[in-house]
Amino acid sequence: MSWVWRGFRPVLESVLAGLIGLGVGALIMRAWGYHPWPAYVALFKESFGSGYGLASALANATPLILTALTFAVGARAGLFVIGAEGMMYMGAMAAVALSLLRFPSGFHAFLALFCAAAAGILWGLIPAMLRAYRGVHEVISTIMFNWLSHFLSFYLVANILVDPIRAEKTLSIAKTSRLPLLLRGTDLSLGIVVAAGLALVFYVFLWHTVAGYEVRAAGANPHAARYGGVSPQKTVLLVFALGGIAAGLAGAVEVMGRPPTYAVYSGLTNLSGFGFDGIGVAMIGRIHPLGIIPAAIFYGGLQAGARLMQMEAGVPFEMVRAVQGVIVLALALPELTRIFRVLLRGWRLRGERA
Amino acid sequence: MTQGPGASRPRPFPHKRVAEFLLRAEGLTKVYPDGTVALSGVDLTVRPGEVLGLLGENGAGKTTLTKILSGLLPPTAGRILTPRGPVRFHSPKDALRIGIGMVHQHFALVDTFTALENVALGLGRVNFSLLRKKLERLVAETGLRVPLDVPVENLAVGERQRVEILKVLARDVKLLILDEPTSVLTPVETAELFKFLRNLREQGKAVVFITHKLKEALAVTDRIVVLRRGKVAGEVSTKETTAKELARLMIGVEVEPGRRPVELSLEAEFSRAAAPGPKGEPILMVKDLQVRSDTGELAVRGLSFELYPGEILGIAGVEGNGQTELVEAICGLRRVEAGEVELLGRKVTGRPPTELYRLGLAHIPEDRWKYGLILSFTVTENSILGLQRERDFQAAGFLRARAIRGHAARLVREFGIQTAGLSAPAKSLSGGNQQKLIAGRELSKDPKVIIAAQPTRGLDIGAAQFIRELLFRLREEGRAILLVSADLDEVLALSDRVAFMYEGTFTGIVRPAELTAEAVGLLMGGVKAGKG
Repeated sequence: MSWVWRGFRPVLESVLAGLIGLGVGALIMRAWGYHPWPAYVALFKESFGSGYGLASALANATPLILTALTFAVGARAGLFVIGAEGMMYMGAMAAVALSLLRFPSGFHAFLALFCAAAAGILWGLIPAMLRAYRGVHEVISTIMFNWLSHFLSFYLVANILVDPIRAEKTLSIAKTSRLPLLLRGTDLSLGIVVAAGLALVFYVFLWHTVAGYEVRAAGANPHAARYGGVSPQKTVLLVFALGGIAAGLAGAVEVMGRPPTYAVYSGLTNLSGFGFDGIGVAMIGRIHPLGIIPAAIFYGGLQAGARLMQMEAGVPFEMVRAVQGVIVLALALPELTRIFRVLLRGWRLRGERA
Repeated sequence: MTQGPGASRPRPFPHKRVAEFLLRAEGLTKVYPDGTVALSGVDLTVRPGEVLGLLGENGAGKTTLTKILSGLLPPTAGRILTPRGPVRFHSPKDALRIGIGMVHQHFALVDTFTALENVALGLGRVNFSLLRKKLERLVAETGLRVPLDVPVENLAVGERQRVEILKVLARDVKLLILDEPTSVLTPVETAELFKFLRNLREQGKAVVFITHKLKEALAVTDRIVVLRRGKVAGEVSTKETTAKELARLMIGVEVEPGRRPVELSLEAEFSRAAAPGPKGEPILMVKDLQVRSDTGELAVRGLSFELYPGEILGIAGVEGNGQTELVEAICGLRRVEAGEVELLGRKVTGRPPTELYRLGLAHIPEDRWKYGLILSFTVTENSILGLQRERDFQAAGFLRARAIRGHAARLVREFGIQTAGLSAPAKSLSGGNQQKLIAGRELSKDPKVIIAAQPTRGLDIGAAQFIRELLFRLREEGRAILLVSADLDEVLALSDRVAFMYEGTFTGIVRPAELTAEAVGLLMGGVKAGKG
């Protein structure tokens, strides 16, 4: 029954890694004279102990699920797509820009999401083509495109999409284009359904379609994939396009479903970081679309619980961040070691054949 | 067998001849962790002032032996003696300390460093001006002309090899081991290398020269030790031997012409009498094919042949003579530089692999783990690699899970694949079962042409026999099979015609029944048919 065990092993590893992370975090708090137990109680009571806390954990998780999907689908094809951040900004810009136009409610939101996804795809197109046809490494190109996107968005926020009354932010999303809230008084919107739905779509794609099979084949063994008739170029383009959809939507749902402002602040302060946090979330979720959902909720919960950990247990914010960092690192470790082992084996093979 | 003067038989006064050898190996045996016996009880003596040739086929144990002598590998049994007594090497450094240096087939140079800097590497703290003087003297003595101050990446391959040799000589070695040194050299460079080796001999140093090329062994050595399957098959004085004798020692079958050199347990069932020979139109045609290797050299140099339905065409030859590149080019996995491939009368040069499959080509790849399987995928997933777009296995882009599982289950049943289950990853299967999975998958394409590259490599006897019988059955069914194998016995036993590949061309295409062991050795060693 060893193959059944193989299915559960990642889950067990992750749980174990999480416990180790909590343990190390506790040791750190002890070492600096804080009480770990009340701190953790506060952390989890806030994030998962109440309806409101859970709602904000889910709201925090929404963009992370999407950016994590971008990294995960790339990683499944053997690519390190770091470009979710830049694609996400473009998605947010597209969503805000769509609010300059008028459409009936509902359809407006749908159109905005569609355009955001398209913007994400477009932003990934050049790195994808560079990788597919010129062999430019995607890590380099997507990081560069993140900065291009960053400064382009700066410009758009400050000049084109700026709110004429409040210059520190863009225009707010039109009421017709907002995502409805699922729980009144919280900021949990329909965005979570979009995100979880897309995760499900990605899962079905990867494990139940021919194209998904080919993507995974290309990632697991590019030589065998080519032998099996998989075009490496098409795989790269497809994976970047899917990643662009997810990341573009991440930016859109974050501005279309986050009360009270429904806007992007200058300096992109309410957006920046989701793309990179998504990489960590994807690692915690073992690069699996369905694993990403609980991983993102956990990650979002850590963020939501930070405030109470600070207030109730008197742990300073910096310490809270440090402890959370340790926990996240521990959770990402199993996947990180797997990736490094794969890379190492590749290098060794190359060395032997050189 | 001609016994050379240095044969390791008991000598009358061993103590008096102590100084006459530089290095002696006694009863060297090497068993690799996976159970492969690479060497068993090899004795070897190297004397000062001689060039000793080490000749043998692939897998004869040449490389293993030299790795042990140069301290890269510890022997499982046996010992190494110097005139001062037995020694034990823990690393190549120990070997270097007593004056044994090795130049490997693959260079270990830092491309951006100059020759001088490369030699300095690993010498610890060096005085560069002293080292330069020493190298200039060495270059003058040996004739190994090399620009000392040009980055190695700008040097020709032959020059890089000289840098490698200088690296070893700079450490004042008494014994230089060269592993297949001519495989990367042009004929002119080879001639210069030989001149240098003779030079070295004049200075009283010893050289062990490893090769599988008969001509080279005859041209440059004083004495030749032939290895076969991990044992010393013979030791001869170069002056007293001939290419024919060496070929026979290398191949090792004392057969009268026409007898099959290998006995397959089920040979009777193979009913070779039915072998029809070429009939009808060729099903696969290769014309003047040229293909480059990964390093950019021409690996296949203007090769032509035809494959007919109902025959097995075997390609024999020492590995690395272009077989891999040939197969990859035919199967659409490697760029064709020039020439044409025709499948069923259609030009398919440079077409993608899936298109070739649709036309009726199946490929059992040489490297199971690189091309044949995705090891982390399940048996089921691997069972449709290359077939994933076929209508049987997908509907509107969605995989038909039940049909695919049924297909995998059928392969497991029909080919007797031992697996923990259809969802077990391919890496959990043994080598033989992995190969059965690949063979089953490829044959489920109902191919007209099957290209089988090293199909039984690394398999146990039962699995190898299974694959061989399968190839035979396919031939009986009228399919055409191109069999590329480094296992000479296998090629000779299975093929209707055998082509010998040497440096990118065929030295001859012959019927195995017409072959003598000598002829085989000559053809493998690069002597064209008709001249040997």
